[in-house]
Amino acid sequence: MNITQILFWFLSALTVFSALMVVVSKNPVYSVLWLIFTFFCISGHYIMLNAQFLFIVNIIVYAGAIMVLFLFVIMLMNLNQSSEPKKHRWLRMAGVVAGGCLLLVLVAALKNIDIKKQVAETNTGDIGLIGNLGKVLFNQYVVPFEISSILFLSAMVGTVVIGKKE
Amino acid sequence: MNALLLTAVFGVIMMLSSFLLTSKTAIRGLAVSGMVIVLAANVLEMMGIVFFKIDTKDMIAFDRFSLLFNSIVFISTLVYFLLSARDMEKVGINYGEYFALIFFVLCGVTLSSSFHSLLILFLGIEIISIPLYILTGSDKRNLKSNEASLKYFLLGAFSTGLMLMGIALIYGATGTFSTNGITTSPTSALVIAGMLLLMFSMAFKVSAAPFHFWTPDVYDGAPTVFTSFMATIVKVAAFIAFMRLFNDEFGSLQSRWQLLIALITAITLFIGNITAVFQQSVKRMLAYSSISQAGFMMMAIFAMNADAREGLLLYSAAYCLATIGIFAVLMKLKDYSFDGFNAFAKQQPLLAATTTIFLLSLAGIPLTAGFLSKFWMIKAVAGTGKYLWLVIFAVLMAVVSVYYYFRVIQAMYFKEGDGQTIEASLPFKWTLVLLAGIIVLLGVFPNWIIYWLYF
Amino acid sequence: MGWSLENISHFIDSWLYNEFDPTIARLIEFLIIAVCVIGLFAVLGLVLILMERKVSAWMQVRLGPNRVGPGGMFQTVADTLKLIVKEGMTPLNVDKFLFNLAPFIVMIVSMVVLAPLMFAKNFQIWDINIGILFITAVSSVSVIGILMAGWASNNKYSLLGAMRSGAQIVSYELSAGLSVLCIVVLTGSLRISDIINSQANGWWLFKGHIPVIIAFVIFIIAVTAETNRAPFDLAEAESELTAGFHTEYSGMKFALFFLAEYVNVFIVCAIGATIFLGGWMPLHIGNWNGFNHAMDYIPSFLWFFGKTFLLIFVIMWFRWTFPRLRIDQLLNLEWKYLLPISMFNLLLVTVIAILKWHF
Repeated sequence: MNITQILFWFLSALTVFSALMVVVSKNPVYSVLWLIFTFFCISGHYIMLNAQFLFIVNIIVYAGAIMVLFLFVIMLMNLNQSSEPKKHRWLRMAGVVAGGCLLLVLVAALKNIDIKKQVAETNTGDIGLIGNLGKVLFNQYVVPFEISSILFLSAMVGTVVIGKKE
Repeated sequence: MNALLLTAVFGVIMMLSSFLLTSKTAIRGLAVSGMVIVLAANVLEMMGIVFFKIDTKDMIAFDRFSLLFNSIVFISTLVYFLLSARDMEKVGINYGEYFALIFFVLCGVTLSSSFHSLLILFLGIEIISIPLYILTGSDKRNLKSNEASLKYFLLGAFSTGLMLMGIALIYGATGTFSTNGITTSPTSALVIAGMLLLMFSMAFKVSAAPFHFWTPDVYDGAPTVFTSFMATIVKVAAFIAFMRLFNDEFGSLQSRWQLLIALITAITLFIGNITAVFQQSVKRMLAYSSISQAGFMMMAIFAMNADAREGLLLYSAAYCLATIGIFAVLMKLKDYSFDGFNAFAKQQPLLAATTTIFLLSLAGIPLTAGFLSKFWMIKAVAGTGKYLWLVIFAVLMAVVSVYYYFRVIQAMYFKEGDGQTIEASLPFKWTLVLLAGIIVLLGVFPNWIIYWLYF
Repeated sequence: MGWSLENISHFIDSWLYNEFDPTIARLIEFLIIAVCVIGLFAVLGLVLILMERKVSAWMQVRLGPNRVGPGGMFQTVADTLKLIVKEGMTPLNVDKFLFNLAPFIVMIVSMVVLAPLMFAKNFQIWDINIGILFITAVSSVSVIGILMAGWASNNKYSLLGAMRSGAQIVSYELSAGLSVLCIVVLTGSLRISDIINSQANGWWLFKGHIPVIIAFVIFIIAVTAETNRAPFDLAEAESELTAGFHTEYSGMKFALFFLAEYVNVFIVCAIGATIFLGGWMPLHIGNWNGFNHAMDYIPSFLWFFGKTFLLIFVIMWFRWTFPRLRIDQLLNLEWKYLLPISMFNLLLVTVIAILKWHF
């Protein structure tokens, strides 16, 4: 095991652990903080793939903006353990069964992939660098890129509709 | 391509119109004329005249099927504007923005009917969904509307998450986003998992059981004028996307998913029809009826042959037009319960007659478009030669559906009551009559639509 | 071989790699960097706080600290000693873990941001190819620490202060980012060394015409707000919120917040100096060769720190010039004025860059 592998396993374990903590935490504020931590761990994986731009964007967008808004709302609502409604036992069981099924399907799907062929480009990969990403985005994927502006515009119009005082 | 760009442009124009134009009539006129232009542009494209030549890198494919479907959607929206645009004024003050959002939805509809890449499918579905969350919650002072919007948003976001996960798995297995069909064999488990996730998320979007739980609450809570739009145009658009996805990408795996889709179809038919029987409010009944109609449309996904494609187009037209008509009448009423329709025929004989035609079409009575579209669906399923129990079950459920549609007709014609006084302008009435005429004519000459698919 | 920072660092680097095996050499380098960064922090804290007090004294025509050491030079050292020996109180009913974690998060974030900064010619910790984005991204994380502190304190003033701070940082990040983008558009690179090298024949502030000057002004306003400095210091407004998110903190934990605030001021001014004023690049004027040579004799780190402290002085000047804004005025200023202006400005800069109108 070289350093890259050790780092990879360490980061992966940390990611899974923090993702579990998001679900397990009783306090919503802690959940959000763990989620932010999870995003940082995922960003770490991007760095290991030499995708520095994705690493930064992941931090800017998720940890820096979206999760901050989450924190905002949750902190202002001042949720705590007692305000969480009790759920039926069978409802919880149903959740466990459904989630377990999804896990089963995903594990089954990932189990028999031919991993040997796929080697992560830890240092040599350069698709995540900003120049290459920009070229791909504005050549091959320019149509979806432009179309996504319609998506954002409609979301903005919607925000104004919802937010404006009558 | 014409329609795609023009709908986006008109979305922006309508967005700006609300502070440039002060009169609501002007905004409405602008929206209607915009719709006419979009429709005309799309028809021109069907004839081979394309205004904008854009290299989409094979991500969007405007073929006959999608263009014809777009035309159906645009005609339905035009009818919807003519009948119901006036009722949008009552929802809130953002009149121009509502039209803008609807145009954006239409932009998403053109995308999801013509995608040739999973990315575009995702964008299309999202451009449809996000304005809808807003429109659902646009009646801000009404708690039910807020609740519906939040519910729709949370569940919709969840199903979009499933869809993205599915797309990621498919991409992992095939290494491409374009929907050229799965060619690798043996099929890897990744593809199957991705297909299942995509199937579930699409089933959510078309509100097929057991992913239908959001439908009644959202349709009931949303302002009626937007329920009409959601339950018709958006729903058939999701079906077209569903069909394209499973035809183009997973067509080669048909034997793997057919049983699952058959089960979903049967459950949808059962739940939709049986629950609709017990409803007391016509609006809620229509929500459940939309689930049961979704069950019939699922049969096209199941069969996935030439008949199915023709049938789905016919079904879209028949279902959209009839449901828009019923909702247009319903919006004029104050009492949405079945009793609200008592003695409606005496009060408004013309409206009652047209409503009857719409209901007959939804129930699938011969000489209406609804009958032929259901017939096409059953023919398509029978054509596959498998799962004949599905055909029998569908016919049985169609019979059940007659009960709750006829309850409205019975209330209108045979029940005594005061009858609600409603104001219906003359153009409104004539549009309804025209709509009823189209439905009857389509029921006699379905080739008017199907012709376009081939010539 | 001259004794520039570049040469010293090269010398240490090559010596380490000759003596030890690469992994260990690298680890030792990390250690040296860590010690240097912490040292820099301590020095910066002492210097900046003293500077703040002296500048405000000067603005108000008084002397400022003048008892401890010559001209009061060791006043902040004494203050730091006091803070270190003070009891670190943790009030009842606070969320202990987050309460104690928050100051460290704020601190660590400011430390990480130092990585891509270029302090002198070729003297840099990590020349990442997206340096400037890295700085904007990581500095946006400090708001999490502030929110954490405000919420964990279990005090409504703290929470309010944290909320204000959050809203402020998230909003002003946009226009700060857009002004930075102006320079990125002109340079065509996000790497700090490229941005500095592109200013060899003149700083962007002078080369880029009026749009870059507008970007510079917006940048200074936005970073003043991002660092919660007056006149945008609503997050800790003493008279309204009794110090905002760090009301409940005392002793060393309070000192960390205090230090982080000043270090952040240093960092944003360093960024401003780097992208608008050429970083370590000496002032060169056209064809005045004699003048240019004379300027080259001044060591590069002096140029960098000189420019940075000039900007810091400007920001301290603001504090005694403008009255504090109300929260709605603050948000209006950003969303209704600065953001549209900087977006339009970015377009202008893009046009300039495409048509090569800059010098």
